[in-house]
Formats: sequence, structure tokens, C-alpha cells
Amino acid sequence: MLIERRSDWKEGFVDRLENSAPWDSWTLYKMSYDITKSNLITDFSGLQSLKYLPHIKPLDHQLEAAQRVIEEMNGKAILADEVGLGKTIEAGLILKEYLIRGLVKKALILVPASLANQWVEELHYKFHIPAMLYRKNYELDYVDVVVMSLDTAKRSPHKEKIDAQEYDLIIVDEAHKLKNHKTISYQFVQNLKKKFCLLLTATPIQNDVFELFYLVTLLKQGHLGNYENFSAVFSARKRDAEQDEYLKELVGQVMVRNKRSDTGIEWTNRRVQVIPIEFTEEERKIYQSVSALKDISPVFSDAFSVITLQREMCSSQLATLGTLQKLSGECMKPEEIDYVADIIQQLEKPAIHSKAQKAANLILKANDKVILFTEYRATQNYLHEYFYSQGISSVIFNGKLSKNSREWVKHLFKQQAQVLIATESGAEGINLQFCHHVINYDLPWNPMKLEQRIGRVHRLGQTQDVHIYNLAIKETIEDHMLHVLQDKIGVFEKVVGDLDDILTTAGKEGQHVSEANPRLSPSILQ
Amino acid sequence: MYPKQIHDYLHQFFNENNCEVIERHENYLQVQLTIEMDKKIMNRPFYWRYVESVNETPRPAQLTLITDIQQLKNGVKGEVVHMGSPRLHQLFQATKEMGLFVKMFEQLSANQDSQRVLTPWLCVNYKVSYHCHQTKEVLYSLGINLMTGAVFQEFNEMMDARFLADKPPEQVYQLPYIITPMRALARLDAVIDRIVDEQDQTWAEEAKKKWRKDQAVLDYFYEGQENKADSYEVEKQAIAERFKPKITIDIVNGGLFYLQ
Repeated sequence: MLIERRSDWKEGFVDRLENSAPWDSWTLYKMSYDITKSNLITDFSGLQSLKYLPHIKPLDHQLEAAQRVIEEMNGKAILADEVGLGKTIEAGLILKEYLIRGLVKKALILVPASLANQWVEELHYKFHIPAMLYRKNYELDYVDVVVMSLDTAKRSPHKEKIDAQEYDLIIVDEAHKLKNHKTISYQFVQNLKKKFCLLLTATPIQNDVFELFYLVTLLKQGHLGNYENFSAVFSARKRDAEQDEYLKELVGQVMVRNKRSDTGIEWTNRRVQVIPIEFTEEERKIYQSVSALKDISPVFSDAFSVITLQREMCSSQLATLGTLQKLSGECMKPEEIDYVADIIQQLEKPAIHSKAQKAANLILKANDKVILFTEYRATQNYLHEYFYSQGISSVIFNGKLSKNSREWVKHLFKQQAQVLIATESGAEGINLQFCHHVINYDLPWNPMKLEQRIGRVHRLGQTQDVHIYNLAIKETIEDHMLHVLQDKIGVFEKVVGDLDDILTTAGKEGQHVSEANPRLSPSILQ
Repeated sequence: MYPKQIHDYLHQFFNENNCEVIERHENYLQVQLTIEMDKKIMNRPFYWRYVESVNETPRPAQLTLITDIQQLKNGVKGEVVHMGSPRLHQLFQATKEMGLFVKMFEQLSANQDSQRVLTPWLCVNYKVSYHCHQTKEVLYSLGINLMTGAVFQEFNEMMDARFLADKPPEQVYQLPYIITPMRALARLDAVIDRIVDEQDQTWAEEAKKKWRKDQAVLDYFYEGQENKADSYEVEKQAIAERFKPKITIDIVNGGLFYLQ
């Protein structure tokens, strides 16, 4: 076995023997011995870090997670707790433990740019880890723990600078961004040396089981076999319960997933409802005209542009108008141009969108702070004005805001405005426990986005029940989206584990949206 | 270490380094640093360069160190010191550097007229660390008699019961050593090697088993590929670094002891 001797003590001792240097104090000698003795890591297992962190009291599930990752998973794991359970704390505990034990000298923490500051602060204040925020022109040689945005890290010259370092631990926050193995981000992380590695995501599957395959493979190549074997056994069409169970077990060997319900903490309830909405006659006509576009002009023949327009029509006339005007320029034949111009004319008529009206009702009824999520910036502006006309104060929050403006808008929302109108990208990583109502004005395709949205509000520190309203317009694409969402939730629950309520509270009793109309769920009838 | 231990440690440390303790309360401590200590722990080389170049009166810093966080609420302002705080870590480091080598003599009571002879010993305190994907440390305090070559363990603990000082008592005869300190050190190095060798090796076997298993999983992933991608070598290296068992032996401190 490799035995290393480290000591320049011998030379110093020779100097003293030859009287060329003074002897040290007996008291300091004894103190040094005593300190070494009391700071000794006496056991291979157990968390040493806790005695160095007397000011934080990690929750039981966080301690268990940290211990399991170190002792059973050998420091390679996906931390997949539900949103708001403190994955950062778990990662911090693990990092601290490895630093104390001397197993990690250098660590690289890759995060979305918007969360970088938060990471640096938490590591400093909670864990006394002197993490640095990476800036251009930084020399990485002298920085042991560095926090970097993944988007920066994957590009030259930063990528090369990282490659020149020897990192012992790689942490990736919001790791679901690595679900696509063809992206540069994925390939970048794939090629990093991962002695120890933590991937943090509340949503390890967003759309299909292959995302989980690639995430696990990123962590530990071969753990789920190679792609050919995996797809032969687990391809979506012919899976059976036994295989799902087997997959779940394999995944469980590299993944920690705590749910709110098994943390032993009293969680406030989620009251989730699907709110069905009827189009007005005019809106229905426009919707139908938009849907028919694919037969009218080749400009709209790909499925995507019509679906986009349909979804936008379910959101606001303004959103639809923007896209349609852009595409209308490409129409060549006069009859196409006329058809499109006719729709545009109808869209330009001043009208209150049925969904906006419903949203305003819900907000007035809630009589409390509300966060509203939409997919479209045009809708944000439309709602802002419409709410204003209804005497509802609101602020707009999206990815375009600078860091300072984000803080300012958050502050305004907390202090003055009743409604925060947010887009997905804008709301990432912000915590709004003082708010108890979430309106999903537009539905995303991906149920995990809903989970992330709800997680802004329903997290540790929330003191009241959280009301979630999923708005969907009847007999439109949103109907279809509800089904897709439910199916995806089904896949997730089979191989990862149960999910907290996202779509409807009633869905829990084993009902499937396609079997039982969610609009009739008891929570809505009340 | 508990707050009380830290408090005692701080008091002892500054006392030993001639830093005046201005105020000592149960849960906090106010000290006046000496110039020497300020240079060592305050990390302000520019100030000291400035003071020395313009010949200004040096003003070494005063520190208020709080060992019980409750005091903060009572309006005492200062640095909170606890296990894991950078300040304590730094003081530990300073202690370590200032307590590496000693030469000590056992003090004999005046009425002991028989056997006023002191025998030389060499003591070395070793810290042995076992690393794989986990770590463990053990401290060994070994002492060797420089007359006979006899080796004792837990030597440092045996010194607790004796009264030692850095000057020999009057009218005693110090035996010259037969084994030179450097040869004795080589012998203790051999002893610690043997002790390490005799330890339970299960941890290393377990680590190697995990190493082989992870390597097998990796090989399976690349099975049948003629030219393996770079990521294969990277991952192989990572697995080796994770599980490769290694032992390091550090010397904490040590010295010459003249004992009855």
C-alpha cells in the first residue's frame, strides 16, 4: 500500500539540536497536541462537519441525505429532493465534510447565473466555506472553491481554464438543464473528471425516462447500462411494472429523493384546482380561424407554428397578434394574406380575454398576494394593464430584468403590489413564502415546470395553505395539454417516486385525467 | 470542542504569547495583541510596512472574541469564535507552528537526595491518516529511551503527571545519550511503520472491492468499442482517485525529555 511521509519536522529538529534555533514553549506544545487530538477524525463514517457548524441545525432528512451520499453512494449522487427541502444545505454539508476530511481540496460549483450569488453567500455564512464567485480573468490556481455559471463555464476560454485544474468535487445545481445529451452543457459536464459529483435537481425526469438515463449516465457511466440495452428494455411503449420497479431500485442507488410528506415536518397543504374557462363566441371564432391556418397557407403547415398560435390565443389576443404579424410577412398568395389580415383585424378589436377576466376574479376573491405565471411576455403586459383597469396593482417579473431590478421588483411585490406577473425564467430560484396563491395562467408542456413554479411559494417557511389554480380553456389545446401533463406525471411516479400534487388535489386518489374529468374534481365543486 | 474549552484555549493561548487579557468574562474575552501577534494573525502587512517605514508608534490591534453567541444579544460587539470559524482555525495553525519542538527537564523536589540523575528520551507525536473514499486519523505518541532504546506508547499522556520545565533543576546529572536523537528518530519511524502495518486492513480491501466494481461497470459501458472516447480515461482516473487506498504519516511535534 502507498505510504506517504509528510514532515519537514526533521530538519527543524536538527536545527534545535545544533542550537541554531530556540526551542518552543511547553504550553504551546501541549496545546498543539491537545488540539490535534480533539480534532482527530476518529471514524471512517459519521459526519464530522456538524461540530464545526454549531450555528446551523440541519433537518433530519438533510443529515440522512448527506450521510447516505458519503457512506453508501461514495460521493456520487443525484440530490433530487422536492423543491424547497434544502438541497443546497445537503450539498453544503457534503462539501464541508469532504473538505474537513481532506478528501476534497478543490471544488467546482456550476449553477444558473441567477443563483450564483446566493450560493456564494450560503457557503460563506452557513458553512464557512470561502467560496469565490468566478469572474472573467480570474486565475483558478488560487481559488479552492469556485462558483461559476454553467453557461460561462462551458465556453472558451473558461472551459480551458477549468480543464487545467484538478477538481475533486463537481456540483451542478438545477441539473435538469443537462437532460439533453446533445447539448454543449451536457458534453462539457460529461468530460469533467468527477472524483466526487453531486447533481441537484428536484425534477430528474421532465418529459421521458431517457432524461433520467442521461442524467444517471452523466453521473456514473454504465450504471443504467448503455443506451442500446436501456432503450431495448425501458422504451416507453413496452414497459411493465416489474421493469419499472427494477429501474427504480437502480436509480435509488445513486439518487436521494426526500418528499415533503416524509420529512416529518408539518407542511401546509396544497390546494390545487383546475379552473375550466369557456371562450366567448368571438374568441372561439378566432381560435378556429387560427387552427385552420395550416390548411390555408404553407407558412403555417408545420405543426409547431399553429400550436404556438393556439396556445397564445388561450393566453391573450396580444400574444397571438405578435406571432401572427411576424409570420404574416411570409405569406405570398393574396388569399392567404387576406385570411391572415382578417384574423389580425379581429385580434386588434379591443376585447377582454375570458381567461384574464377569470384571473382577475380569482385575484379579487383571494384578496391576498398572488403570483401569476404566464408563458408570454405580451400577455404579461396585457395583464398588467388589464389588472390596472380593474384596480389590481401588479408588477412584472421576467428574465430580462437585471439583478438589481429583480431585487427591486421582489421588494415592490412584498411591500405594495398585489400580483407578481412572472415568466418561468424570471422566477427561477426566488423564494416567496409570504405569498399563498399561485395562478398558472398558461400551462407548460412539462409538469416539472409547474412543480418549480409552485416551489417558489410552497417551501420551508410557508405558514399557510397554498392555493394553486391551473387555468385551462375548454375544447382547446389546453385540454390536450392537461392529458399530456398527467401522463408525464405518471412516468415520473413510476420510476422516481410519488409527486406532490401539481395538477389537481383530487388526482391523488388514482384518478387519471383521461378517465375522470378534472373539472369535476370535488375541490372545484365546493 | 465546547464553548468552554474554546474559551480556556483562547485565554491560555494569548497568555502564553504575552498578549494582555484586558477583560475576561465567562463568555467573551478582550485582548491586547502584541506587535508580534498582530503581524501573525491580523493579516495586515501593508499597515506594518507603513508604520515601520515612517517610524510611527505601532498600534497593535485589540480583539474581542466571543465564545458564546448569546453575548451578542447583550450588546457585546466582537468576533464570534467557534469550531470551524476561520479565526479559530488560524489560531490553531499558529499554535501548531509555535509548538513544534521542545526540550524539557523533569523537576525534582529538593529533599530527594538520592538518584539526582535524569535520563534522556526522544518523543515524537505521529498523526496517521487513512484515506480512500473515506478517511480516519489516529494519533500515536511514541517515546524512546536514548540509553536503552526501550519504546513506550502514549508517551505524551505519561508526561501529564510529571512536573517539567525548560531548565534542568540544580545539581542533577544529565546522562549523555548512547543512541543519538537522529538514530532514535529513525527507530521511531520504523516503529510507526510496523504499527501501521499491523492495523486492520479491511477498509483498504473494501475500497479496492468498490474500485473494481465501479471499473467493471465502466468497462461494460464501453464494451465492444474499439476506440474508446476520452471520457473513458477521465472516468477511469476519477474512479482510481476515489477509491485508491493511501496512508499518510505526519509528525505533529516532538522533543527531548530528561526524565527521572
